[in-house]
Amino acid sequence: MSIPGKRNVLSGLKVSAAMRRQVVRLPQEASLEQCIRQCIKFKINAVLVTDAAGSPLGVVSKTDLMGAYYADLPISTPLSSVMVGPPIFCRPDDYLESALDTMYSTRVHRLYVRPGDSEPVTGVLAYPDIVGLLYRFCRNCEMSVFQRRPERDEDQMRRAISVREVMTPSVVSHGDTQSLVEVMEGLSAYRFGAVLIRNRADLPVGVLSKSDLVLAYMRGMDPGTRAAAAMASPVQSCDVDEPLSGAIQRMIFSDVHRLFVHRRDPAQVIGVLSLTDAARARSGSCHACVSSRIRVDQTS
Amino acid sequence: MGITARDVMDTHYHTLSPRDTIAEAVNLFRRASRKEGKRIFGMMVTDDDGHLRGMLSMYDILLFMRPKHVHIWGEMEDIELGGLLETAFKKARNIQVGDIMSTDLVTVRPDTHLMMVLDVMIKKHVRRIPVLEDQRIVGMIYISDVFTFFFKDLSRGDPDRT
Repeated sequence: MSIPGKRNVLSGLKVSAAMRRQVVRLPQEASLEQCIRQCIKFKINAVLVTDAAGSPLGVVSKTDLMGAYYADLPISTPLSSVMVGPPIFCRPDDYLESALDTMYSTRVHRLYVRPGDSEPVTGVLAYPDIVGLLYRFCRNCEMSVFQRRPERDEDQMRRAISVREVMTPSVVSHGDTQSLVEVMEGLSAYRFGAVLIRNRADLPVGVLSKSDLVLAYMRGMDPGTRAAAAMASPVQSCDVDEPLSGAIQRMIFSDVHRLFVHRRDPAQVIGVLSLTDAARARSGSCHACVSSRIRVDQTS
Repeated sequence: MGITARDVMDTHYHTLSPRDTIAEAVNLFRRASRKEGKRIFGMMVTDDDGHLRGMLSMYDILLFMRPKHVHIWGEMEDIELGGLLETAFKKARNIQVGDIMSTDLVTVRPDTHLMMVLDVMIKKHVRRIPVLEDQRIVGMIYISDVFTFFFKDLSRGDPDRT
């Protein structure tokens, strides 16, 4: 019996199976304000920037927009001033594993998809798209916790991957009286997408993400404003021993990119679970995926 | 001089402020529809000086409410929608009209020929166009009014009309 050590549920799958076909793009002359509005309306984290002919020049992400806010750039600044280029591309028939490796090694959160070097962009691939694909597989699998049967409950729960195995076991937090500028400095230093906001009693009272910050930027909020004025509340969290599948389901259906992780008491936050963490784990939400793959290999 | 935008535009237009919440905008759509006796699903957004800053339509609101992973929702027949919709509405409460309004606007002047207005509506896929004179709003043209206008003139020449 050959056991393929590195095989996982993504093995053999192509980019075209997971990519999103709606690519939001703006010309390089468009303003930061227009870009933020598109990010909010389409619930995306970046916009593809094009030249007059529609060719891709670069990308403006919420990180870049937050940087512009921090640097006090006027909201009318053209995208060409802050974009990062060129975009990083992959092809629809590339393997998902290879695309994930590219994203990881180049430290980008999305790849733009085009069939050939000079062909138009036909899609975009980001971590949540990959998690969405994994979730669909997992849900339809007879071994998954979604297909629970009373006689197999114990076995299924044992096999289920828990939040603990995938989460980032540390949390960056700021006080609710700290300024947005201080929070932006914290987000940049740790390369996080959001921080936990605590009150004077050290209790978690909200979350301040890059999305909240770019919204504050567009609304003309002074960067010296207290974090409490721009944060989202309450904190969305899950238990550390909860099955990963349940946590992923909540993130997917509530349109949130991360859940803070607590141990029994929601006030005891000990980590963060993001869709990016789930995608990097490269499995569904159950250890059964690995054994299923071994079975497939034996018969092939 | 032919038929122009001035002949068809509605001068009883309603506006939103960029600072209105989405819930307030939906209520204003409802109230305006009752007042005007027709369904109004889009309004101009003006600043404190009355200048046009954008447009907000039912489409903009639905686009924002649409779940990001909508393709997965379609496969999940056993998912309870109640709590999840409540979460979506809670999120929308923090969103203002100015956050999601459309700003790449198409406008016409009062003396723009009606055929040009029709052409713009079809080519740009818009159902309502603000009418501006010297950067000042003077009215709004709805596609339903354009249709009614043409239908009225067409049926006038039909001997079988009832």
